[in-house]
Amino acid sequence: MQTPKEIGSIQFGLMDPETYRDMSATKVITADTYDDDGYPIDMGLMDPRLGVIDPGLQCRTCGQHSGSCNGHFGHIELAAPVIHVGFTKLIRRLLRSTCRECGRLSLTQEEADEYRDKLGRTKELGDDWSDVMKSAVRQARKAHRCPHCGSPQHDIKHEKPTTYYEVQNVLAGDYSERIAEAMQPDPDDEDDEGVDPVTLANETGLDAERVNQVLAGEFRPVGDDRKALEKALDLDLTEEDMNKLMPSDIRDWFEDIPDDDLVTLGIDPDRSRPEWMILTVLPVPPVTARPSITLDNGQRSEDDLTHKLVDIIRINQRFMENREAGAPQLIIEDLWELLQYHVTTFIDNEISGTPPARHRSGRPLKTLSQRLKGKEGRFRGSLSGKRVNFSARTVISPDPTLSLNEVGVPDRVASEMTQTMNVTERNIDEARQYVRNGPESHPGANYVRRPDGRRLKVTEKNCEELAEKVELGWEVNRHLVDGDIVIFNRQPSLHRMSIMAHEVVVMPYKTFRLNTVVCPPYNADFDGDEMNMHALQNEEARAEARVLMRVQEQILSPRFGENIIGAIQDHISGTYLLTHDNPEFVETQALDLLRATRVDTLPEPAGENEDGQPYWTGQQIFSELLPDDLNMEFTSKVGDTVTIEDGQLTQGTIDEDAVGAFGGEIVDALAKDYSKTRSRIFINEIASLAMRAIMHFGLSIGIDDESIPDEATAQVDEAIDAAYDKIQELIEIYEAGELESLPGRSVDETLEMKIMQRLGKARDSAGEIAEDHFEEDNPAVVMSKSGARASMLNLTQMAGCVGQQAVRGERINRGYEGRTLSHYQPGDLSAEAHGFVENSYRAGLTPREFFFHAMGGREGLVDTAVRTSKSGYLQRRLINALSELEAQYDGSVRDTSGTIVQFEFGEDGTSPVKVSSDDENPIDVENIADRILTSEFSSAEEKERFLGEREPPTNLSEHAEPRVDARAGVESDD
Amino acid sequence: MVDVSQHKLVPEHTKLDDEAVEDVLQEYNVEKTNLPKIKLKDPALPEDAEPGDVIKIVRNSRTTDKAVVYRLVIE
Ligand SMILES: [Mg+2]
Ligand SMILES: [Zn+2]
Ligand SMILES: [Zn+2]
Repeated sequence: MQTPKEIGSIQFGLMDPETYRDMSATKVITADTYDDDGYPIDMGLMDPRLGVIDPGLQCRTCGQHSGSCNGHFGHIELAAPVIHVGFTKLIRRLLRSTCRECGRLSLTQEEADEYRDKLGRTKELGDDWSDVMKSAVRQARKAHRCPHCGSPQHDIKHEKPTTYYEVQNVLAGDYSERIAEAMQPDPDDEDDEGVDPVTLANETGLDAERVNQVLAGEFRPVGDDRKALEKALDLDLTEEDMNKLMPSDIRDWFEDIPDDDLVTLGIDPDRSRPEWMILTVLPVPPVTARPSITLDNGQRSEDDLTHKLVDIIRINQRFMENREAGAPQLIIEDLWELLQYHVTTFIDNEISGTPPARHRSGRPLKTLSQRLKGKEGRFRGSLSGKRVNFSARTVISPDPTLSLNEVGVPDRVASEMTQTMNVTERNIDEARQYVRNGPESHPGANYVRRPDGRRLKVTEKNCEELAEKVELGWEVNRHLVDGDIVIFNRQPSLHRMSIMAHEVVVMPYKTFRLNTVVCPPYNADFDGDEMNMHALQNEEARAEARVLMRVQEQILSPRFGENIIGAIQDHISGTYLLTHDNPEFVETQALDLLRATRVDTLPEPAGENEDGQPYWTGQQIFSELLPDDLNMEFTSKVGDTVTIEDGQLTQGTIDEDAVGAFGGEIVDALAKDYSKTRSRIFINEIASLAMRAIMHFGLSIGIDDESIPDEATAQVDEAIDAAYDKIQELIEIYEAGELESLPGRSVDETLEMKIMQRLGKARDSAGEIAEDHFEEDNPAVVMSKSGARASMLNLTQMAGCVGQQAVRGERINRGYEGRTLSHYQPGDLSAEAHGFVENSYRAGLTPREFFFHAMGGREGLVDTAVRTSKSGYLQRRLINALSELEAQYDGSVRDTSGTIVQFEFGEDGTSPVKVSSDDENPIDVENIADRILTSEFSSAEEKERFLGEREPPTNLSEHAEPRVDARAGVESDD
Repeated sequence: MVDVSQHKLVPEHTKLDDEAVEDVLQEYNVEKTNLPKIKLKDPALPEDAEPGDVIKIVRNSRTTDKAVVYRLVIE
């Protein structure tokens, strides 16, 4: 393997044509590639001196074989200079800012000095120096005469992409007619007697004789004469003349620009002489950069670049032949333009205004720029991101029996992704067993590497034999097994929790398995989502992943400083059912609820039921999962006060606000005040307990759960009718012209607003009526109140009234002229004509309501689609802008140039995940000190732990000592 | 005209003397040009500020009470 070399610096600049020739392995003169026998033609585009692609052949320049030889550049001597499309803007700027005669920058010494100073200052401040160049060019362009040699300057017109004209004002061909006409008296003005030649001669200071000659068209008045005539007669005697600048003219022009003047513009003349922007020599990329491929039928297919080079050489030859034969100027110019076109498209084939060069099949050629640009280009496609080995992708599905730190990996993935084992005295037996198992049965091995570096494939045939040969110092590439650490990712990777490290659990079947509590950080669901897994390949990576990236380390989100992992959906319904009415459970039920947790003995029962059996309450069972010294008080989502004293839930409902992802109080407190491990265990157990609880009670919804009694429906209808009446009233006031407009609104807008308001109120009251008639234990209500899923609004729409449909935040107003549908009279302002849906989803929508509903729904869909694409682009730009910022060891944030962005990270030097979620005490020093002191003095054991006599182990795998530690009581491992 | 520097949301801007500037540059081990910038026309600047001066800005902070930031005055 080649050792990577360190890059000291990179210099961008133009290349001297002489350098092109020096580095060239051969001049290329023929457009042919291979001869009839299939051998590359000398001095052709596939000349063996340009490198080799066929295995076995030797490079004629460096003598190496394909694979070791990187290839060598050749060159084409262009018959005439052509413009490099990449520099057309700079060429235009230089043409406009320098003198056409002496080549000097059209700035006075003082101006030049000023711009030089400004350039220096701008570079020092790290600002964009090209702004200074632009303003210098703008200034220089203003000069009508060269401040150095005094010659007049003309405007430069740039016709994209590569044509430049000099625009000058010359004497118009019909000058005598124009003068004669101006001398005639103005027919509309009686006082105007016109000008006679004598007066004109006097006024202009010309001889009378001259004036007559001018009038007869025998003398061309140029320079001062022309100006005098124009002034005397107040007319314009000029017309524009466009003089095309050939690339050779531009090259000559640029050669005259002195080095000093280039420095003023910010160009380094030692590295980039402007005349090098006009190509006289074209470098030919090595064949390794444009390999030809042999098709199945034996035909060779050439790379797009080779095709383009063939075109260039052909035209180049024709150009030379024609010139030697003395062809007319017109033909030469046509060929020149054609050569320019081919060189241009060789460099960039996506220039606006230029038809792209196409392949025979009609497909546009992929030339140099196209290889680099865009998402699939070299930078974004091959360097910033590329396909990697040791990765797998498949569909995900849920598995509530896994720990949140784990991922279920299909056995067929596990046998493909390997981990390198360095064989030592301690693992030699294990290593041999892996090899003995072969590549196909699961904990096997795919390759072994001998100390001499030879890599041997383990096959079903040789595995027994090979296993015996494995010795100390060998490497065995064994399959992934339970407990290995891997990286797991779901796109789009919008925050750091989109990529986390999991421990492998090898499983049958074909999907990756996740605990459902890690869905929020990945934003994953199981409707067909796929995720990627990466197997880590060295100890450093594995250690970093385990310490920094493991799921339990990411429970707190830096986005909002609270936990992002926690109970979701049914977990929340489950804990709600378990704690809300504090139900009673007999021993078998209580043990069943806790069976998937590490709790295996029940506390003292809460009492005895009628049958004389001891029972435990839901809150009691929930409390078994809490640490014994936990004390909290907060308000739940349901609205009651949750009190936890010494690890016992004494009152309150456990719902989203207590254990949910996105800031559940208990999870947040455990993650901040206890340890990541403790919170991992808590979340796992909460999920298990909640699943057991929800299975105990049962939770399902059917259509009857959303129906309300007839009298309630009558009340809803009444409320809606009342709103209709009110709206009718409003419309009448409006039509009578008596509606008073609200401040800053027109009468029409006021009416719309009032109607919308009234209809909104109508829906809300329908919702309230429906809510009043729902039972407390209605499953939909349970889900909505506990925060598990759905909002009260969803229930309102299902049971009461769907309400007003809106497009662009207004009632629906589009469709026909003056009406939304042909079912209504033009000008009908009523609620139903503008998209108010009075039915509920359960009752069903009328066809018209359905149509309006679809309009609103469509807008929602379009909005989401537009938003995601816009925010994706925004995110990309933000990342690119911030990617070079780095927090330094002194706490400051600086960019790569050393410029300070923040003097102290985030103004306070604290990580958002380490800050308390309490708004009033950002860093709750008192609370922390308090807790530590009490724990220190409460018992001798605690004190010992405080003094740190026994270091807790760091980030043990859950598989290291399977749940032994956990059973004994939780030790911190972070 | 309103003097924005008196507004309660505009933090205190003070010009540093040469010695204090040296200390700041030393503390962060930077050149003047590596400091964040502030435009001369910024109305929050003290009257006598000139390009090249370093301004000390003391902001109220939710977490640290006071957050101190330095800026280089540019044209
Ligand atoms: Mg999905
Ligand atoms: Zn070579
Ligand atoms: Zn000149």
